[in-house]
Amino acid sequence: MRTSSQRRVILTIIIGVALILSLNFWQNPVKGFFYSSSASLQQVLWGAGNDAADLFKGFLNSKKLQQENEQLRLTVQGLLSENSTLKELRRENALLRNALEVGPAKTFQLALAEVVSQDISQDTILINQGKKDGLAVDMPVVTQENVLLGKISEVYDKFSRVILVTSENSSFDAKVSDADITGVIKGRGGAQLTLDLVPKTKELKQGDLIITTTLGGVYPKGLLVGTVRNAQKSDTEPFWRTEISPLFRANELSYVFVILNL
Amino acid sequence: MFRKIILLTIIFYLLALWQASFFVHFPIFGVTPNLILIAVILLNLFEKPEDYGGLWGSFIAGFFLDVFSGSFIGFYASICLAISLFMKLVFKRYVWASFG
Repeated sequence: MRTSSQRRVILTIIIGVALILSLNFWQNPVKGFFYSSSASLQQVLWGAGNDAADLFKGFLNSKKLQQENEQLRLTVQGLLSENSTLKELRRENALLRNALEVGPAKTFQLALAEVVSQDISQDTILINQGKKDGLAVDMPVVTQENVLLGKISEVYDKFSRVILVTSENSSFDAKVSDADITGVIKGRGGAQLTLDLVPKTKELKQGDLIITTTLGGVYPKGLLVGTVRNAQKSDTEPFWRTEISPLFRANELSYVFVILNL
Repeated sequence: MFRKIILLTIIFYLLALWQASFFVHFPIFGVTPNLILIAVILLNLFEKPEDYGGLWGSFIAGFFLDVFSGSFIGFYASICLAISLFMKLVFKRYVWASFG
């Protein structure tokens, strides 16, 4: 037989749960209130976490960093030479555009935002720009280097939640840069990405750069998505089984850009 | 009891901020441990059998997890509450009963 105090506790809990669930009707104002009142503290914590993680990694990976540094030095040399070629091509392209009277390539209108926090499932981040700054649901979010991060999933007055491309709820069309190979990028959660629906007749190799396409109308074309980490053919499946390394780490982001006009 | 709930509210609020903004920078093998769930388990583990502060604490902890994550309000609150109730039940039936 239950005591009256037990009954009271159970009743209170039921009322509490009902009350909390009813808060979903005002989810945006409730979450917005907490985000606004905690923003300054969260920004300090995010910055401190970033710095502490850098320091920690420095201690742990000093040897690895040395090798990586050497590797990067070689990559930079290669990129410098590629850059000079591209500059020449750009000049040539501008001349041709002038000659053909074609307008300049479409440029994006961007809004700068600071990352405030990350979801514990690691597939969403919170940024300090919201409805009042002209942001809306489904706007793409990129880094300074034009790397696609994801799109806005929820907008509050002064904050927005960004669903990352690595989220299990994310999928969009993409292609291999400089090749006629298209597929569908799917998030697998936990910073994992796969490239699906690429026929086995196409040639994929490790290191191939994946970029967005306008197919599906979710993202503008040419945004960087990741590189092929592992591509395998299976006898039983008609498509490649491909793992993609994203070009960003969510917990290392500080500032992001929101594309306001597609 | 009321003072305990207020104290737990402040602690879990700070823990949720710490989890969402600081602790995410330190994943262990790619996974960030959920500090709040760990705290909820510890709270219920070391609570006296006649106390019910742990239930309230778990519920509040879940609420803050909901606020600082992308899920709807009530998702983690229900999970934490269920964990707490389950632990209370098991402890009452199988652990404390054997001492009683």
